[in-house]
Amino acid sequence: MKQPWHVRILTWSGIGVLLLWSLVPIYWTLASSLTATTEFNVRPVHFYPHQPTFEHFGRLLGILDGRMGGVDVAGEFRLALLNSMLTSGAATIVCVLMSILAAYAFARLEFPGRQLLFYAVVATLAVPGYAVLIPLFRLMIALKQIDAYLGVTLIYVSAFLPLSLWLLKGVFDALPKSLEEAARMDGAGHMTILFMIIVPIAAPGITAAAILTFLGAWGQYIVPLIFSPKATKPLTVLIPEFAGKNFVDYGLIMAAGSIAIVVPCLLVIFLNRYLIAGLLAGSSK
Amino acid sequence: MTARALKSSFNAKPGVGSPAGAFSGVLLVLPILLTMGSLVFYPLVSTAWDSLHRVDPLQAGTPFVGLSNYVRMFGDREVGQAWRNTFEFVGIAVAVETVLGVAAAALINQVKIGRQWILAAVVLPWALPGVVSGVIWQWIYAPGAGLLNGVLMAMGFDFENHLWFNDSTSAMLLVSVVHIWRMMPLTIVIVLAAMQSIPLDLYEAARMDGASRLGMFRTITLPLVRGAIAVAMTNSTVSAFNLFDEAFVLVRNSLETRPILIQIYLEAFKKLHFSYGMALSLVVTLVSLLVSLVYVLRIHRNTSLD
Repeated sequence: MKQPWHVRILTWSGIGVLLLWSLVPIYWTLASSLTATTEFNVRPVHFYPHQPTFEHFGRLLGILDGRMGGVDVAGEFRLALLNSMLTSGAATIVCVLMSILAAYAFARLEFPGRQLLFYAVVATLAVPGYAVLIPLFRLMIALKQIDAYLGVTLIYVSAFLPLSLWLLKGVFDALPKSLEEAARMDGAGHMTILFMIIVPIAAPGITAAAILTFLGAWGQYIVPLIFSPKATKPLTVLIPEFAGKNFVDYGLIMAAGSIAIVVPCLLVIFLNRYLIAGLLAGSSK
Repeated sequence: MTARALKSSFNAKPGVGSPAGAFSGVLLVLPILLTMGSLVFYPLVSTAWDSLHRVDPLQAGTPFVGLSNYVRMFGDREVGQAWRNTFEFVGIAVAVETVLGVAAAALINQVKIGRQWILAAVVLPWALPGVVSGVIWQWIYAPGAGLLNGVLMAMGFDFENHLWFNDSTSAMLLVSVVHIWRMMPLTIVIVLAAMQSIPLDLYEAARMDGASRLGMFRTITLPLVRGAIAVAMTNSTVSAFNLFDEAFVLVRNSLETRPILIQIYLEAFKKLHFSYGMALSLVVTLVSLLVSLVYVLRIHRNTSLD
């Protein structure tokens, strides 16, 4: 159905406003990260850097002198970037592996309490994280897992397991059983069937679960704020600290912000299809 | 248990309902059950139990105190203020995300070319870490070199050194803007998917009857996406109740604007009132679930009457 021209103009100006609203803050982050510190003093405000510079990235990554008021910004930043990658990466791998195994069992095997256990795990989607934070804090103190990679990674895993399990159980349920039955005739065991047949076919669903878990862990704030105060501090905890210092170096903060949002941006741009599918399946629980 | 026994149970011929099948089933769900049991179920029960005791690392012993932690909330002025702020945030966020989110979904639904790319751009704010978004918007709102004041100056208004966060009303609104920026994408994605599943011949038939575009939107699109709107509103409500990251960056501890989750964080982790914090967090959980239940039931009743 062909749209009249005035409807098309209205639609596209609406889309234009929507795109500006979504993208201008991200543009402003990137633009500010390339703006020289002296240029921030110019009025009227420059809407793009007139003399783009990489000085902020240089200081942040330790190529230029990365000390700010006696604080080793570059060292702290590199450690936080590494911590974010380590904990989110590990949480994603562990969470997806655990949910592949469990989703297979819940979808294909008979065992006592199957239904009940599945719904008990999925029901925790309705339990917000803060309802368990305080006992977890006491537990982690008792286990000496405060500021340790293992503790915070396991908390992320427990936070994202229900969604990932729910997604994968749905994906596995929808797969035809004929291929598995053929493999079973040939004497294949559970692990062979799961990893050689089901996992390759279910790859899009598994990708969706992995993206949602990774983005969730990468963006966590309140959990690492409590459980990763020093040595395992991730980017999300470090970056607001930059802004809390008595001198506010916005060029540096925006350079750090740009690096923190690059990973989610790439995931959204290249794996958008899987992400949307995952979001839809996850929202209708 | 030996490795050999494990291996043979994994590779046993799967027989549905056979003891071997049951054994591997339990074995496969064991990791998930151990994790969830120790890091979610145990702490959840512990939250409920400890909220009836006095748990405070600065005081010895954990005596049973009954409901006194719950009673104390009603007289706590700070908690009262934090609740009012949270309800304001929820009201603003859910209303704006739903109205503008449905409008945005309808717009994107009209577009044939490049829809995938528009959707990617729209989803982007949702995918970014909440605190980083908070820091980005803090810089946009900053006096002097901030983008917001810069744009207002370029339009001829004298806002160069205007401090947006000196006034609690504008602070509440600006925090809501950041939250809406992050969460509206979810509403758009959910509602758009429902719109795309509406069969096109419904519109074709309505057009034959001479219906206008707006008329078709009201009589066909809206009723058919009502379920999706309820799902989106539930998500919006829960995430607005859970507002923490953006607010923590933008308004820190300011009493006039702090939402209930910041209040819990301060009680539990700054004042170390553990059991009071646990009682508060249970109440917030229940309230946010109840409020979402209201939408689900309303929508359910409306759709079953049709």
